[in-house]
Amino acid sequence: MATAGMRRGGTALTLVGLAGLVFVYWMSFFWVSTEINQGVVQRIFYVHVPAAWTSFMAFGFSALASAMYLWLRDDRLDRAALCAAEGGLVFGTIVLTTGPLWGKIAWGTYWTWEPRLTLTLLLWFIFVGYFMVRNSTEDPEKGKRFAAVVAIIGALDIPFIHMSVIWFRSLHPEPVVAKPDGPSLPADMLTTLLTSLAVFTVIFLGLFLYRYALEGLRAEADLRSRSTAT
Amino acid sequence: MRTYIDQIRAIIWKDLVLELRTRERIAAMGAFAVLAAILFNFSIDTTSTRPEDVAAGLIWMTLVFGGLLGVGRTFYLESQDNALLGLLTSPVPKDAIYLAKTLANFALLFIVSVLVLGVFALFFGLDLGANVGGIILVLGLGSLGFVALGTLFAAISTGTTMGETLLPILVFPLLVPMVIYGVTSTGRLIAGRPFDEVEGNVRMLGAFAVAALAAGAMLFRYVVED
Amino acid sequence: MTRLVLEAKGLAREYGPVVAVDDVNLSLGEGEFLTVFGPNGAGKSSLLGMLGGAMRPTRGHVLIRGQRLAYSDVEWRHQVGILSHRGFLYGQLTVEENLRFYGRLFGLTDLDQRIPERLERVGLADRIRFQVRQLSHGMRQRLSLARALLHDPDVILLDEPYTGLDPSAAGVLRGVLAGLRDGRRTVVMVTHNLKEGLELATRVAIQVSGRFAWEGTQADVGGEAFERHYHRVVEGRS
Repeated sequence: MATAGMRRGGTALTLVGLAGLVFVYWMSFFWVSTEINQGVVQRIFYVHVPAAWTSFMAFGFSALASAMYLWLRDDRLDRAALCAAEGGLVFGTIVLTTGPLWGKIAWGTYWTWEPRLTLTLLLWFIFVGYFMVRNSTEDPEKGKRFAAVVAIIGALDIPFIHMSVIWFRSLHPEPVVAKPDGPSLPADMLTTLLTSLAVFTVIFLGLFLYRYALEGLRAEADLRSRSTAT
Repeated sequence: MRTYIDQIRAIIWKDLVLELRTRERIAAMGAFAVLAAILFNFSIDTTSTRPEDVAAGLIWMTLVFGGLLGVGRTFYLESQDNALLGLLTSPVPKDAIYLAKTLANFALLFIVSVLVLGVFALFFGLDLGANVGGIILVLGLGSLGFVALGTLFAAISTGTTMGETLLPILVFPLLVPMVIYGVTSTGRLIAGRPFDEVEGNVRMLGAFAVAALAAGAMLFRYVVED
Repeated sequence: MTRLVLEAKGLAREYGPVVAVDDVNLSLGEGEFLTVFGPNGAGKSSLLGMLGGAMRPTRGHVLIRGQRLAYSDVEWRHQVGILSHRGFLYGQLTVEENLRFYGRLFGLTDLDQRIPERLERVGLADRIRFQVRQLSHGMRQRLSLARALLHDPDVILLDEPYTGLDPSAAGVLRGVLAGLRDGRRTVVMVTHNLKEGLELATRVAIQVSGRFAWEGTQADVGGEAFERHYHRVVEGRS
């Protein structure tokens, strides 16, 4: 059956991803050279940047699936949007914890209104709203539609948030340290970053498939308990 | 098309007549605005901060919180006798219902925003000078963007078990761009800078309002569907 | 055989795991008056909601004069009038303002003649300038009926119209509803009140747990016998 296959696929991908993560940790702790200006602390970026990329991708995917759900009304699309949003929230949380850890050492402060960090924070809250709306309606169908609207509006708001926080930032002094992910990244750092990016994407896909299969099973169980009840 | 516009006008007329007779929302928003201005006045230490430096931010915060108070109740006046169902089963397109409700809310919030400006000018001793028109334009565009999102999300939060408490959680993250552009342009205009300097920001406010209106008109039908 | 006006095919509505309406089929011709009985929670209101376009069916569809209704379409709503025990009225607007508001939503242009005429019919002509909150419950219900009939719909849906009315107000409403049996309109009423439901019906259905458990006409089971029959059907199914 499709659901079981998906769950197996999800488990396999997650395991591959976790093994890859061990490798990424090895790379970023032992293999890659230390960045000259920032020192050891810069290594956190091999987690921070891929997590950010993954969470943005997940939120974008969730919004897309939400729009398709409103159009086609296929429950599978809603499930996909839900599972992607969950993944986005998890990886967004990683971004929001690793960012300040790095910021404390590099900038001397836990929080700065760095545009991409700000955008991640706001997106994180938008998707918290997504889950709150979803779980606070009596009719679950209504919750799905409300959540889809929140995801779509959130995605449409991204360009505005992005432009405004960059512009807001330009009013304030530039960061003390230059951003590490400039175009002139040494080869070994680039390799580590790209490997990590791939691994994080695999982990997301694995978790996504697993969650998606689980939601499918739940829907099936609901259907079955209903047909025995009446 | 003529029917469409007349349907919108009928709903706006109905909302404003109801507001005129009950004065529920405008009174709440107006009182809130004045009281907030009084509290804000005591919340700043005038020996270290000049009131005109922080006035723009406080005006916008008053507008956002006061607006929430009024917009959150948009659909309560429909719910007393289940009148919303009467609206939804009539041959009015859902986007027309959304646009009408949003424009009626805009009328209320715009009046309140001018009141807020007046109250802050009075209490904080602001000299608005020649920029008063520009500031009102900025506040108007801000109010429009606010009600465009606020009306859509008021419909959502009214449909949940959490009700109005959910509204700020949903709209505040979305309103950040509007607050950034609105506060900075208002601040500069209060400081007496020429309008040209904030023109880009005002355009962004306008774009935000138009995008929010369009998105709301498209998505409202999925919110009120049953 | 009269022409078919209102049909439902395989109509179903679910709220997540809850099944409110389950595979309901019906076809009503011109002049027919169907009363759907059923205990609380049988799905009567959901059925009416779907027939009136207030709810999107989970499965199945509704047809008016053979035309399949799309939930998102608004044009066919001109042909349907809904009277619920909630009036859809605004307490702070006057009787006339309420009707004028709904008239504009329906794109009616002859409201200056239409409104007094409708108010005359429901016996509220002398209250035209009153605010609705000043009216008694019975008067409000009659005004609501005038609202539902304002655009002259062919299909009329009544959702527990007698709820909360005292006997005399119910009597007045009954008289006005009887006027709906003019051979041209098709009426569906849902109620759990057997006596009121039977009075005007040409056809009768009993809905239990979302499904039509029994269908027939007045003549099949009349008067006292119907009550026993009703309880047998309801208890047999649930």
